This record gives sequence, structure tokens and C-alpha cells, in this order.
Amino acid sequence: MKTQRIYLDHSATTPVDARVVNAMLPYLTGKSGNASSVHSFGQEARAAVDRARREVAALIGAKQNEIVFVSGGTEANNLAIRGLCEAVSEKGHIITSVIEHPSVRGVCDALEKRGWEVTRLPVYENGIIRVEDARAALRPNTVLITVMFANNEIGTLQPVRELGELVRTERQSGRRSLWLHTDAVQVAGRESIAVEELGCDLLSLSGHKLYAPKGVGALYVRRGVRLQSQSIGGHQERERRAGTENVPGIVAFGEAARLARTEISERRSHDKRLRDNFENEVLRRIEDVVLNGEKEMRLPHLSNLSFRFVEGEGLLINLDLQGVAVSTGSACSSGTLEPSPVIRALGRSDELARGSIRFSFGKDNTDNDVERTVDVLANAVTRLRELSPLNKALAS
Amino acid sequence: MTYSAVFKEHLAHPHNAGELPGATVVVEETNPVCGDRLRLYLLVEDDQIETAKYLAYGCPPTLVCGSVLTDLVRGKKIQEALAITKDVLIAAAGGLPGRKHHSAALALETLRSALTQLGTSTEEKSLNLT
Ligand SMILES: Cc1ncc(COP(=O)(O)O)c(C=O)c1O
Repeated sequence: MKTQRIYLDHSATTPVDARVVNAMLPYLTGKSGNASSVHSFGQEARAAVDRARREVAALIGAKQNEIVFVSGGTEANNLAIRGLCEAVSEKGHIITSVIEHPSVRGVCDALEKRGWEVTRLPVYENGIIRVEDARAALRPNTVLITVMFANNEIGTLQPVRELGELVRTERQSGRRSLWLHTDAVQVAGRESIAVEELGCDLLSLSGHKLYAPKGVGALYVRRGVRLQSQSIGGHQERERRAGTENVPGIVAFGEAARLARTEISERRSHDKRLRDNFENEVLRRIEDVVLNGEKEMRLPHLSNLSFRFVEGEGLLINLDLQGVAVSTGSACSSGTLEPSPVIRALGRSDELARGSIRFSFGKDNTDNDVERTVDVLANAVTRLRELSPLNKALAS
Repeated sequence: MTYSAVFKEHLAHPHNAGELPGATVVVEETNPVCGDRLRLYLLVEDDQIETAKYLAYGCPPTLVCGSVLTDLVRGKKIQEALAITKDVLIAAAGGLPGRKHHSAALALETLRSALTQLGTSTEEKSLNLT
């Protein structure tokens, strides 16, 4: 008997919403113009891109000319950080955190090799940075603070608004070249975002985390912030990203952003209810479970748990054999043998870090999914614990 | 990554899993790089491995190698067990991706160290007798 599979990996990617598919389809078939063309096909495409830009802007409270369409979160982060740093004349100092996505961490590492100074703020047991640490890390030559809005593995929300205040205060006291970037890829469509309130200058988004297809994203660039384009050879996106626009992808992203904006409170309470029920049931039925990261200040759809004496990948495959899809570590870095650096940053042991599993819910999950997952999980954990030498004395 | 049907079967229904009270020898080895662990219990009589059981912690190939290894050594003479190679083990597991061969290496290392310990303890025994 083939049982229905259960997808609990919405932080890795989301299925494309049928309404989003419908919105993009005409731009894959009849309306196939290049948005830069002058004729009616081109005008049609341009109008569609502009509509999508308004929707994406509306999702985060920005103006439409502050949105640059890119290929996804990774490119948005690259453009934000490299683009900003390359636009300032001298090499300076960057403040970031130890739990950034590889696309931020990697760019900071690369800039450091080229002579930039980088401070990586620690997180505490709750998986959250402290604004005092950021304040203390400021140097006269600090150019950029880049701290993610919510972490992709444990979902903890970072104090970006407070960082925005810090930047504002610094500006008021005369500092001119200090900017704030935040990677909001995991937040969009799950919590509301208002760039003015956050006080950030740059903010990254990715379509495929909010029910749009893979390969489209956006960078919010506050008016007046100068960026060095990372892709040269065309006038698209106001010279900030050369290349023919991915019209169907952008249209899809626009529709997904519109749906996310109108449905955010339902989605939020739906995901949170499932997540909370799931966690309560797991903690009731399975012993020795550790919640990774702060319980309150985190995304509503995500739960990251470590099951003592059990290794994550073994548990993941066992769940997968039963049709339940989850992830361990960061989706992008599984395959390496290192325990998750994010969980390690919380001060957890290697064993707990290796045993961490991320469950991330989405709008199409049901109560039934939660119930079946808890059953399958309880069963798998019991079996793997019976098999584990970690909880049994070595006596012959 | 796709695992073979044989592999999945061992993972879902491991053979010879658990502790073995009264085992002749118990050995546990750890892969220092990834932290994977395998504990092997052997019950040996007259130079023959009567029963083998195991406990394992780690990535799926390590769990499966415990199951496959214990299947392979059951009923074998010590010399025969010593002759089991990594390739034999990997084949019996239905194949392993290259980056997971370390699991087979850990399993064989555990087996060898159990058999060595067995050798030493029987030597000790014979020494005590004289
Ligand atoms: C926090 C965060 N930033 C950036 C990315 C990269 O986004 P994309 O997959 O669109 O390149 C991801 C997705 O894995 C993410 O979770």
C-alpha cells in the first residue's frame, strides 16, 4: 500500500501554489515578450513585471522602485553585501553573526580574504544575537551590519529592529557610511515585514520559500543606497542587475507575494497551531527531546528538535522510508560530516548537534499530518534508541 | 541520494540488533571524524561465531553495516570472518556511495578488534592454564 507522503520541509522550499502557476502560465505560453522590447509583446511583459514589483514591494512596505529582481536569496545576499562593499571606496569592517546562511557567511568570508575586517557576533543558548554585542563591535570603519531576520535551521528571530535603531542613532550622531542588511528569506510570508519599521537598508527575499517557483527572488534597496552591480552588460533593474528579466518567474513571485500578504494571518495561525500541537505531542510521547533555540522569539512554522542518543541522518532516512520528509542540519550543507554549526553555536554537544531535526510546516499541512508524523517519529526514535550504544553501558 | 532496496530493508528491519548477554567478546569502535559508533557482541564457541549482535549510532550506512556484518559473521569460523573484506561488506549492503565507505571501514575495524581481543583472551586463558 502506498501511503500519502507528508512534506514537513517548507523551510527548504515550498510547493508552488496552484494560483501562482495559473498566474505565470500565460507568460510561459502566449505572452512571451522580452520586457525590454518596444512592441506590444514587450509592453505586456513590462507591465507584468511592474505589477509584480508593486506586489513584492507591498509585501514588505517598500516602494516599487526599491525592489531589484534577482534569481533568489543567494543572489540577493551576494548583491547586497558585495554590491554595498564594492561601492564604498575603502575596505572597511563588517558585522555579521555566526548563524548566517552560507550565502551570507560565504560572502563575508570571501571579503575577509580580500582584506575586509569581519566581526561575527555570537548567539547565546537561545540562538539570538545581542544588540549590545553589535554596539560594542562597531568600529570607526564599520560599513555594514548584516544579520539575518530569522534563522533557517532553528527559526529564531533576530533583533533586526533594534539593529535598525542602533544604525539610526549612529547616523544621528554623525556617522555617514553605515548600512544594515537583513536576510529575510525565511520570514517573508510567515511574519509581516515592514522595512521602514525595521530601519534596514537592504533586505533579501526568495520566491520559493513562499509558494513561488525556484529561481526568483528580490533585493530591497532603500532609496539612495548605492550598490555596485554584480552583473554588468544591460540596463535592466535600473542598472543594478543586468540580464533579461525572468518574466514568468517574476510574475509568479508577484502573485505569491500578493497571496502571502492577504493570507498572512491565516497562514501564520495555521502553521503555528500545527507546529505547537506537534511539539506538545512529541514532548508528551518521547523522552529526552531538546528544543533547539528560543521558544517564543521564533518563526511560527518551524520546530528544531534533538533526540538524545539518536543521529539525525539515520532518523531522517527512517522517517523518509515512512513517507515523512524533514531535514537535518542546513539543507545545503548536509552531506558534510560536520555537525550543524548553528546548533553547535547554541553551545550544544556534538551529539545533540548531530541529532537535530528540523520540522517545518506549511499552509497545506493538516492535523492528520501532525498526528501521523508524531506516530512515525515516536516509533523511529524508539527503534533507533534500542539500537544506540550511547544509552547503554559497555559491559561484557 | 538513493539507497538500494537491500539497504533500505536492513535500515527498516535491522538484523541482529541489540545487546547480547553472555557474549564472549564485546568491542566498541568510534570513527573519530564523524562520531559514528559500532558495538559488536560475539558469542564464540570452538573457534566458531555462534551468534553476533550489534548496536550502532551514526549515519544510515553505519546502522546498515552493523546489520550486514552480523549476518555475514554468524556461523563463520574466526579465520573465515577475518577474511571478510570491505568490498564484500559493501556488496552485501546493496552498495554504498563512495563518501559512505567509512561506515564499512568502521564495521570491519570493529570486527577485527573483536577478533584480536578474542585471540588475546584465549591466549591469556591458555597461559593461565599452564
Ligand atoms: C536564510 C536563507 N537565506 C538564503 C537562502 C538562499 O535562497 P535561494 O535558495 O533562493 O538561493 C536560503 C534558502 O536556503 C535561506 O534559508
